Amino acid sequence: MRKLKRLSVLALVLVMAAALFLPMAAMADTPYVTYTINGYGQIRQTQTAYLAYATITKFGEEVTLTAPSDICIASDGHMYIADTGNARIVVGTLDGELIKTVGEGTLVSPRGVFVTDNGNIYVADRDAQMIFVFDQQGNVIQRYGKPTSPLYGDAMGFQPIKIVVNDAGIMFIVCESNTNGIVEISPTEGGTFLGYFGTNYTTTDIMTIIYRAILTDAQRAKMVSNIPATPTNLGIDSKGLIYTVTRGNQNDTLKRLNIAGTNMIHNTDGTYADTPVAVVAGNHDNVYVADQQGYIFEYNNEGEMLFTFGGPNDDTQRVGLSKMVSGIALDTEDRIYVLDSDMAQVQIYEPTEFTNLLHNALYLYSKGRYTEAKEPLSQVLRMNSMFDYANKAMGRSYFQEENYTAALRYARLAKDYDGYSDAYWELRNVWLKNNIMTAILLCVLLFIAYKVIKAMDKRNHILRKPRRAIRKLKQNSFMSNLFYAGYYIRKPNDGAYGIAAEGRANWLVSSFLLLIFMVEYVVMKYTCGFLMKTVMEGRYEILSDVGMILAVMAALTACTYLVCTINEGEGTVKKIYTFFCYSLVPYIILMPVVYALSHILTMNEIFLTNMLEIVIYIWIAVIAVIGLKEVNNFSAKETVKVIFLTAFTALILALLIFIIYVLWAQVFDFIVAIAGEGVYRLGY
Amino acid sequence: MATKKRKKIVWLAVILAVVLVLAAIAVTLIVLGSRTDKIVSTNRVHTSPKPAVKGLVEDAAKTDYVPVAENDHYKLYYYEPRFSIKLEDKRTGAVMESTVSDEKDDGKSNADWTGTMKSGIVLSTIEKTTKYADKINMNTTENKITTWYTDNGIYAEISFDQYGFALGVEVSLIGDELVVRVPEETIQENKEGNYIYTVSVFPFLGYTYLGEQDGYMMIPDGNGALIYLNDKEGRYASGFSGLIYGTDVGITDLVSTSTLWERYETVVDANPVLAPVFGMAHTDDQFAYLGIVESGDERATIEAQPNGARINYNRIYARFLLRDVYNQPLSNSSTANTALTVEADRIHSDLQIRYCLLSGEDADYAGMANAYRNYLLGTGRLEKRNLSYNTRVDVLGSEREEFLMGTTGVPMTTTDQLEDIYAELRREGVANVLTVYRGWQKGGLYDTPITKYKADSDIGGTSALTKLILSEAEQGNTIYLLDDALTINASTNSGTYSAMKKLNKRTFEKEVNGQVYDSFYYLMPDRAGENLADLAQDALRDNIRNMAVTGITGNLFCYSYKGNYYSRTDTMDMFLDAVSEVDANMNLVLETPNQYMWKYADAMLDMPLESSDYLYIDQEIPFLSMVLKGVVPIYSNYVNFEANKTENFLKMVESGAYPSFYVTAEDSSKLIYTNSANLYSLEFDSYRETIAQYDRELRALSELVGTSCILDHEVLDNGLVRVTYENGVRIYVNYTASALSADGVTVDALSYKVGE
Repeated sequence: MRKLKRLSVLALVLVMAAALFLPMAAMADTPYVTYTINGYGQIRQTQTAYLAYATITKFGEEVTLTAPSDICIASDGHMYIADTGNARIVVGTLDGELIKTVGEGTLVSPRGVFVTDNGNIYVADRDAQMIFVFDQQGNVIQRYGKPTSPLYGDAMGFQPIKIVVNDAGIMFIVCESNTNGIVEISPTEGGTFLGYFGTNYTTTDIMTIIYRAILTDAQRAKMVSNIPATPTNLGIDSKGLIYTVTRGNQNDTLKRLNIAGTNMIHNTDGTYADTPVAVVAGNHDNVYVADQQGYIFEYNNEGEMLFTFGGPNDDTQRVGLSKMVSGIALDTEDRIYVLDSDMAQVQIYEPTEFTNLLHNALYLYSKGRYTEAKEPLSQVLRMNSMFDYANKAMGRSYFQEENYTAALRYARLAKDYDGYSDAYWELRNVWLKNNIMTAILLCVLLFIAYKVIKAMDKRNHILRKPRRAIRKLKQNSFMSNLFYAGYYIRKPNDGAYGIAAEGRANWLVSSFLLLIFMVEYVVMKYTCGFLMKTVMEGRYEILSDVGMILAVMAALTACTYLVCTINEGEGTVKKIYTFFCYSLVPYIILMPVVYALSHILTMNEIFLTNMLEIVIYIWIAVIAVIGLKEVNNFSAKETVKVIFLTAFTALILALLIFIIYVLWAQVFDFIVAIAGEGVYRLGY
Repeated sequence: MATKKRKKIVWLAVILAVVLVLAAIAVTLIVLGSRTDKIVSTNRVHTSPKPAVKGLVEDAAKTDYVPVAENDHYKLYYYEPRFSIKLEDKRTGAVMESTVSDEKDDGKSNADWTGTMKSGIVLSTIEKTTKYADKINMNTTENKITTWYTDNGIYAEISFDQYGFALGVEVSLIGDELVVRVPEETIQENKEGNYIYTVSVFPFLGYTYLGEQDGYMMIPDGNGALIYLNDKEGRYASGFSGLIYGTDVGITDLVSTSTLWERYETVVDANPVLAPVFGMAHTDDQFAYLGIVESGDERATIEAQPNGARINYNRIYARFLLRDVYNQPLSNSSTANTALTVEADRIHSDLQIRYCLLSGEDADYAGMANAYRNYLLGTGRLEKRNLSYNTRVDVLGSEREEFLMGTTGVPMTTTDQLEDIYAELRREGVANVLTVYRGWQKGGLYDTPITKYKADSDIGGTSALTKLILSEAEQGNTIYLLDDALTINASTNSGTYSAMKKLNKRTFEKEVNGQVYDSFYYLMPDRAGENLADLAQDALRDNIRNMAVTGITGNLFCYSYKGNYYSRTDTMDMFLDAVSEVDANMNLVLETPNQYMWKYADAMLDMPLESSDYLYIDQEIPFLSMVLKGVVPIYSNYVNFEANKTENFLKMVESGAYPSFYVTAEDSSKLIYTNSANLYSLEFDSYRETIAQYDRELRALSELVGTSCILDHEVLDNGLVRVTYENGVRIYVNYTASALSADGVTVDALSYKVGE
């Protein structure tokens, strides 16, 4: 799973870097595009998920809204809107007929509204600093003011703006400028403060710590205070789980909190709204988040984005775009109601056939009815074969049916590493079961053959000729140096002395080793087992890989040589290059093992390859350092000094290249500017 | 040693001096050279002479409306000071006026707007150095006007001396048509630095106040849409404004309006305006008109402003854009340092609008569609084509993905596989298929431009393709080879010398952020034409006669080349030359063609069935379908990517469009590393049954209506849609979720039925 995250972050960065314009297919029949996310964490276009269905600009003949700020659809099938500007709650049917208005004369600035199953209307009134509870006749049946409990804090104000109530009547209230979290109040004894709920935490990054350490008190006071963000809005689902959205809370923007206040969503795709304003739980274990700018997001129960659509109305005046969203609600038919406070309207979106199929599959899948989910899933895939979420679910379903080959295929399509690993484990088991006898037999045969040959050699010396050939080969200078590299990695001290003093430095052999290293690197990177792969399938950037290795090698050799020379080291460029290349031999020898393992291991055993990789890197580091020491005839202290200096030089070199690059760009820009000016002046 | 070094320095100095002198000469030459041939306008001129005049209009026209032309049906009045006309339907007495009368002035508009509202001609200007735009009308701007009688109406010459502008307008009532024309040769810009930006003649013709009149304005958005003339209660700050024939990439900077996470474009471009028409219907009075922009249409916008957009009047009109401004960047960092620059020349076309007047039963959008169809057929802008039914099944041949240091082919549908697809379709009962073969050419789908008839080896090669096309033709399947004649792939074609440059001399670049190719250029129109002709000639040698053309069919732009300025008029003419030349020997189907291309189309592909979903649209109508059904076969967008299949199917039934599918033999997941990664659902196996089902139903329907046109289209009170054909066939479409009935026909929810 870690790998997947790492991958998706990588992919996301890549996408970020490249994607300024996405190809816009001329097939949409709505003013907005619908996006989804694929297994690599890339944002991809998909079918329209929701169509703009209707717009309600007034209720009945004349009730219009003024800067409304919250919407709630109750179980009675009516829509309740906190009509803030008119200080009332407007109750209407879902198609815009007026039923009644509530709270006129009582409310001051209603910001949040919630209706319980028994029909009680809870209103969070910011300026009255009060929670009002109305019955369906519009009578106030209860008021809750600022909690008197000392735990609440005397200095803390009470400006409720959003509210939800669970089955037990416990209120969860978002208060403006209360950073402690969601205020939890039980209805007993006229309102008992139960504590803060779902508090956001601040994270302190390294820079802040450094700043704090070096700044004076006065300077520190000027720093942006590191206060946790208050949740912007909240919602509740049928199981009583609370959803919160918090602006600027990165990966914790959307939270699903159980009764203990623990967040159960951990998603790092980076697909959350930038300016979330409202959240509502869906009917299929899904959740919707509305962004103030008009984007609507739908996530599954793991916080993975299914769709995002909509967008800001930049005076293009097209249906389904919003100016300033303030609330979101959902009816039983999965229609989304988006409240726009600027346009003073409710925009209704209805799910398309595609989305309905997906919801059905989603529901069955989340209930563990994998086999049943396959039918709608295959229909979804028929409509969009690249919808990775469906691929993933399909893979899991096949897994349940013990069709592991199909499961493996779908998991790989969906980049579902866990699913892939599980399916692979099963397939490997089957293979082992079928082939274990053959394999053992083969081993035994090989062993016997080895013994026989050895015995025959003892008697008849049948291996004399090959042995002589090998000896002869070793005398060849190229081969001899090649074997010397093997000696070097085992005994770096002696080996490095050989390079320094016994003429073992060799351009040709070193370069040959470097070439093998590059070949292995490239093969490993692009054809290793799926679970270890760090690049997208089918993507090849071999030229840049090779270029990068060569550049690093050249820079390293050059820097080391420069630093060693001024430190009276004895190494020449040739020697330094040689021992660097020889130091790569552990990689050359062991990487094939890692490569082979990557193809046969599952997620549970993949740590073996990781360990092996660590061994390789440590080995390389150790022999490189020893090599550096011996080749230059340094003492241990000098070696450490030179290493630091080399690192520093490399940094300077990088900086230098960067500066030249920047300056060159400036010069180029200057020339272009002159030409541009000329073109303009001369009217060309 | 020292002397050697000195010698070296001397040599260097000499070389440097020579280089400097040469550079200086070069610069001088360039500067002088440019002075001599600074902006040569090679603009084509579309003009006709001034009318013959008969004598000045009587003085009474200076104080009130006087009748100036009359026939059996209509009477035309004229009021000189405001340059205003009034049209009277003699049969009903209904009237349409071209300026807001004093009685109807609600006094709520400011002086500028009042002046505009009460003026029959409105101009806007650009000042060269300040770029300051001014509005000119007959009331608040000083002017001189002289009016003469002509055979069918009047001719007026108007001048605005303050700006040095002058122009002549001819207004003629000919039968049931009112023709308004500004001859090109009368347009004058006599004051240095003052330019005419836009011209609108009779922008308020048929205006209504708030919701006083029942009726609607018809706008050419998508397939067609209506804006009702009811009281909008100030909901819309602005209305429809669409450049006829689409955005001009030569002058407009492509900016993405809104992006999600500052990266993803979320708002889709609105449909381009394919037909230069607009309509106003007063349904109470049974008086309506359809305005057709006949000349100057290549650079005009259709403006439809509902009440509440600045003023309380509904009005619809065409606004001619004579000259525009563009951004001339002065440095490579594109955001800063740009200079707003006025175009070097204006367009040189007559500005002409023909208003088809509709009365009685015909005064509705169906009447407008009929009038437009008759106009197109009568003037040769459209020809009746073979209308036999085909299901369109397009295939994707080959694409490219990155491999090692280059790219490698991704074959999606080879010729053999396509043959199998046809065989399977025949087994399903789908007999006649029209196919556009996409990505057939060497190098795959995005290797453009195509100049030779050479098929990609991945799909089987040229001879296999030829064989397939010829043998399938005998079986009733027609394969058209797709040619995007406009686009250059920047990666597969080195050199941008034939790429179109915008007015600011920057090469136009279309960025797509594809997996393989990132940017595309447009060809200069003459080169695009040559390429098309080359390809056609080459294909003809192999007896290939079917081609699907895109790119040049729906794009118009102005551009610059070697210091010369070319207008949209030039581009249009060059594209037309190219297509007409090829059309002489080939069967062409055109993708989303603009109206001027219609007469060359054996069929039109990818015609929009819906509108762009503007807030102020009250009803979508299949206007273009009503015009074209029974004349040219029209094909819908691909069914594949529709999320609501049922509704989309009903739209096809309603508009008489033929269905389109896009398929591949291979699985579409093979495309995810190609530029076609967004084509997420293509594999033929998923669509076999759907194609057969659509084919069965729509073929049967098509046989019923035969080659007749749509006569009437109505949304009945209960929401049922009724389409009446010439031959009496009536089709009822029910988009609602419950069964509806009308005329004794009951239609199930989300379904359709045929009645007589």
